[in-house]
Amino acid sequence: MISTIKRFFNTFLLIELLKGLAVTGRHLFARKITIQYPDERTPQSPRFRGLHAQRRYANGEERCIACKLCEAVCPAMAITIESAQRADGTRRTTRYDIDLTKCIFCGFCEEACPVDAIVETRIFEYHGERRGDLYYTKAMLLAVGDQYEAQIAADRAADAKYR
Amino acid sequence: MDYLQQLLGPAWLPIWTLAKIIVIVLPLLIAVAYLTYAERKIIGYMQIRIGPNRVGFFGYRLIGLGQPIADAVKLMTKEIVLPTGADKPLFLLAPVLAIGPALAAWAVVPFTEDWVLANIDASLLYIMAITSMGVYGVIVAGWASNSKYAFLGAMRSAAQIVSYEIAMGFALVGVLMAAQSLNMVDIVNAQKGGFWQWYWLPLFPLFLVYLISGVAEINRAPFDVAEGESEIVAGFHLDYSGMAFAVFFLAEYANMILVSALTSILFLGGWLSPLPFLPDGFFWIAAKMSFVLFLFLWFRATFPRYRYDQIMRLGWKVFIPVTLIWILVIGGFMQTPLGYLFH
Amino acid sequence: MPLITIDDQQIEIAAGSTVMDAARAAGIYIPHFCYHKKLSIAASCRMCLIEVEKAPKPLPACATPVTDGMVVRSYSAKAVEAQKGVMEFLLINHPLDCPICDQGGECQLQDIAVGYGGVASRYAEAKRVVKEKDLGPLVATDMTRCIHCSRCVRFGQEIAGIMELGMPGRGEHTEVMPFLEHHVSSELSGNVIDLCPVGALTSKPFRFSARSWEMARRKGISPHDGLGSNLALQVKDNRVMRVTPVDNEAINECWLADRDRFSYQALNSAERLTRPMVKDGGRWVEVDWPKAMAFAAGALKVIRDTHGASAIGFIASPHQTVEELYLFQKLARALGCENIDSRIDRVDFSGRRDGVEWLGMAVTDLNKLDRVLLVASTVRKEQPLIAQRLRQAVKKGAQVNVVHCADDDLLCSVANKLIARPSDLVNILAQVAKAVGADIDGLSDVVVSDAARAMAASLKSGEKKAVLLGAVAQQHPAASELHVLAQAIAKATGATLGFLVDSANAVGAGVVGCRPRQGGLNAAAMFVAPKKAYVILGAEPELDAADSAVAHQALAGAELVIALSPFKTAGADYAQVMLPVAAYAETAGSYVNMEGRLQSWCAAIPPQGEARTAWKVLRVLGNQFGLAGFDQDSAEQVLAEALPEGEATVRARLNNEIADVTVAHLNAAAGIERLGDTAVYQLDAYSRRAPALQVTVDGQVGHAAMACGALIARLGLSEDKPVKVRQSDAEVVFKLMRDDRLPDNVVRLAGGLAAAVQLGPRFGPISLEKM
Repeated sequence: MISTIKRFFNTFLLIELLKGLAVTGRHLFARKITIQYPDERTPQSPRFRGLHAQRRYANGEERCIACKLCEAVCPAMAITIESAQRADGTRRTTRYDIDLTKCIFCGFCEEACPVDAIVETRIFEYHGERRGDLYYTKAMLLAVGDQYEAQIAADRAADAKYR
Repeated sequence: MDYLQQLLGPAWLPIWTLAKIIVIVLPLLIAVAYLTYAERKIIGYMQIRIGPNRVGFFGYRLIGLGQPIADAVKLMTKEIVLPTGADKPLFLLAPVLAIGPALAAWAVVPFTEDWVLANIDASLLYIMAITSMGVYGVIVAGWASNSKYAFLGAMRSAAQIVSYEIAMGFALVGVLMAAQSLNMVDIVNAQKGGFWQWYWLPLFPLFLVYLISGVAEINRAPFDVAEGESEIVAGFHLDYSGMAFAVFFLAEYANMILVSALTSILFLGGWLSPLPFLPDGFFWIAAKMSFVLFLFLWFRATFPRYRYDQIMRLGWKVFIPVTLIWILVIGGFMQTPLGYLFH
Repeated sequence: MPLITIDDQQIEIAAGSTVMDAARAAGIYIPHFCYHKKLSIAASCRMCLIEVEKAPKPLPACATPVTDGMVVRSYSAKAVEAQKGVMEFLLINHPLDCPICDQGGECQLQDIAVGYGGVASRYAEAKRVVKEKDLGPLVATDMTRCIHCSRCVRFGQEIAGIMELGMPGRGEHTEVMPFLEHHVSSELSGNVIDLCPVGALTSKPFRFSARSWEMARRKGISPHDGLGSNLALQVKDNRVMRVTPVDNEAINECWLADRDRFSYQALNSAERLTRPMVKDGGRWVEVDWPKAMAFAAGALKVIRDTHGASAIGFIASPHQTVEELYLFQKLARALGCENIDSRIDRVDFSGRRDGVEWLGMAVTDLNKLDRVLLVASTVRKEQPLIAQRLRQAVKKGAQVNVVHCADDDLLCSVANKLIARPSDLVNILAQVAKAVGADIDGLSDVVVSDAARAMAASLKSGEKKAVLLGAVAQQHPAASELHVLAQAIAKATGATLGFLVDSANAVGAGVVGCRPRQGGLNAAAMFVAPKKAYVILGAEPELDAADSAVAHQALAGAELVIALSPFKTAGADYAQVMLPVAAYAETAGSYVNMEGRLQSWCAAIPPQGEARTAWKVLRVLGNQFGLAGFDQDSAEQVLAEALPEGEATVRARLNNEIADVTVAHLNAAAGIERLGDTAVYQLDAYSRRAPALQVTVDGQVGHAAMACGALIARLGLSEDKPVKVRQSDAEVVFKLMRDDRLPDNVVRLAGGLAAAVQLGPRFGPISLEKM
């Protein structure tokens, strides 16, 4: 009985609503957490998963051995690989494409890779202006890798003991 | 002024009226623009964000004050898409039907005792009549779009406005009984005597009902099922773009300001100062309107959207009985020596 | 029968079985590498160690015979500990290169390592590295991965009949290697790819091109020999990437001949015809289907209206499906033409036959034979898996007797053999017939040799017997006489007469009526008396025909040749219209194999380019002529129409009997003669276009002229040098190779070679000249 009456007054006097308003009202004066993006940046982890890159060994040989584990593990089926035997008898890709519009940046490809060939870099500020610009081919991925190898290697080294 | 009157002769009255209309409408439109800015900013702050802060003037950001202007320019330059299956004349007529009443209602709204375009005796009745017309814009838009979402939105909107009109009307009846006049200037003047004399206190339940019904009338959160982006995409204005959309937008915000103005006038003493020793004036009504508008934004930041059946239940089964009972209470009291409490 | 308990499950199993057999029967999986159901027991991998009650140590399940009351635990702590120990040893020297290994994803070692392997190896020393071995163009090796299960070695010994791989060395120095740097040249060599539980032996043509998990396995039937091996076409992106066997105990068991396994390369060949083409002023122009069909039908109509329907010849390849062949003959007959045949490589059609020639028994019966007479068959090359079955029969004591034109090594012990020149073949078979006392006329002049008498004695003994006629016997100029003699021998000895049918659907072609009836011409006659127009389905008559020169001339001289083929090189120089039809993996269809078994399959991939399935093309051709009965919607409908009762219809039409043949060719011709049997990888359009098969030893040998050392010396020629081969006024240069297994005065030059087209008949006088 008491509780019924209490509930009636709680409802009728809009107590719950006022409590709700109090919450938002308090937040009106809370410190704002917005990061002013191009002027300010959030700190990045060495494990950041951004744009993909294909790496090379120090001697210039591409790392990828066309094992296709990344293709198999990719949940978005964004990776397409075709492989063949290269003239020197090694197993190599003849095609390695990542459709970044399909990619969900889960990082599974990176984890599946036995030779650290496909990696996700810290780059996240990239764009395409035409249809197909975000379809990265092997040459484009290798170019990314070549350009950012120092950073990529440093990030792998920093994370090495946890892998 | 006399000289001008002589110069223009019989053309004076329309021109003078037009000038007065412009003096009301232009600031109103600017107020609408900056109300959208305020909305984004306040809701942003309540969500621990900072809201728009980039677009300024002349290379200065000025906490984003240029944003509404930029939005307006964007909307004006965008294409108005006419859906293939739409009823084109009605489709284009709908925004006009929406904005017309939203602006026309301002004709009788007094900003001070003297600042009123048409100080007519039946001004409250006029307001009630004109604001009811706004729903046609919504219904015509939903129908003409020939899209199921738009139509659903329009139907919801119509049912909602019709339901809350009644509760709102009854709330106003209480005010009429208290003020014993339909003239809004008289209603304000009847509240003279300071903060405690304003009608919000003696008519407190009606004040709440009016405030909440007002939110429902203008389809604002938490009663915005007519738009309901999570269920029916954008409701009645789903197929509108560019300026046609902007006109709906203007109408909604103009209505918002109108409801805030009416709340101030009917329950918060209009231009009267809260303390007897302070002078009355436009400042006070502006401050009260701002407060009510802030409440609207605060509600939007706080309350999740009502379910449609809950809205109907609230309108018919809570508000109408509450107002009826309070009218009876007022009527009863007015027959007793305690009646002065309600004057 | 002993009753044993495995993992609390009681199983009764025949005495002499092993624990592994019992476990398999009970559905219990015991990890293993060296055990294989078709191979002998090696017990070399030790992976199948199990705990047996009262045995002090774990025992290998594959080599432990069951005894009554035995209690076996395959998953007890002790067994698992033993298995894990073995696994650790196996992984010590196994490289960790799964990502680049073609076996990755279908590797037994990988799978079992998941269950029994450790997380990390305790082995810190240097791993073993083994030198690569060259096993020829079909099998790629990564010998470091070998775990010495010896399956490949046992396969060579027991199934392929030739031990080409051995396992010399002891302990860590053990290596699987081919002997004396020889290639592996067995026609069954591809099976070691399937047998190898790790990635040591993998497919060379397939190497690194796809992963096992990327490919869909679609069922198919081999389009080559008459066995009808069941295939799994492994498809990725609508492309057949490789072919593996599908187990079928009644047909191919778990094996596949190299021809069946690697001919898929032809499907992806650059020679594929992908758009209809019409010859316009001597140049090929690509056109769209409606135009090509209208042109073909229009031109054919003109020929029929001006010269009559009998001026058209319909030639089909016996490698086409039942549905296609049925519609093909239906079209011909609806047009009023009886000149229909699929027996392109035959010359001798004399005698009265009442049905379609077939094996005369089930394929599985071959294993149970006691006595076999193989007439003119290099069965090992013609039907590699039939040879494998005969090999199993021989192992159980069967006697194989061979009458042939070449003393080819059949890789099984042969009881008696009679080798003679092709023109002498009738004579020696007649000797055998006379020796067994066959009831046949015209043998009075035949002198029976001791060898023939020995053979007769062998055939007279034994229980289950068969006389099998091989491809040469069927292509021979006196084929009917050989047939009637074989029939007589079979009758006299109580043996079954059978044909080793050499093409995938030769039986089906006969059953659906791809044969000329009253008033029609057979394939040979259609070329000898050239027709005005030819419609060719899938065949390359200039290669397949008994007399390639005559066939080519007839085709080149015809007013109209319509070629329906998956390949643009077939008929490019003589056809007027080429219609691209689907290859075997691209169409739904059925084959009837040599034992009369009807096997249907669905298309594994869509036809390449604008090619269409042949039965649809034929149906539309029928529609173009406005003929009734060309409105089938699916291959199933066509099949139901062709064989209303399915296999029963087929069986009703099978009959090997022949009558009205007189044995006349009893005297051998003088001079050097040609033995033009079909080379193993020149059998049909597909195998000809598989590059990997062409570079094998068999493929290379097929392109050379061969003669015995005596003949080479007598003619003053030198082996392994080019030589001028002259036959019926034509002259072609071939490499001359020495093969002392050939009788004197015989030059073996395979039929079906593009280079030998001008030479002419497969059998007949031939001469060799020095360059």
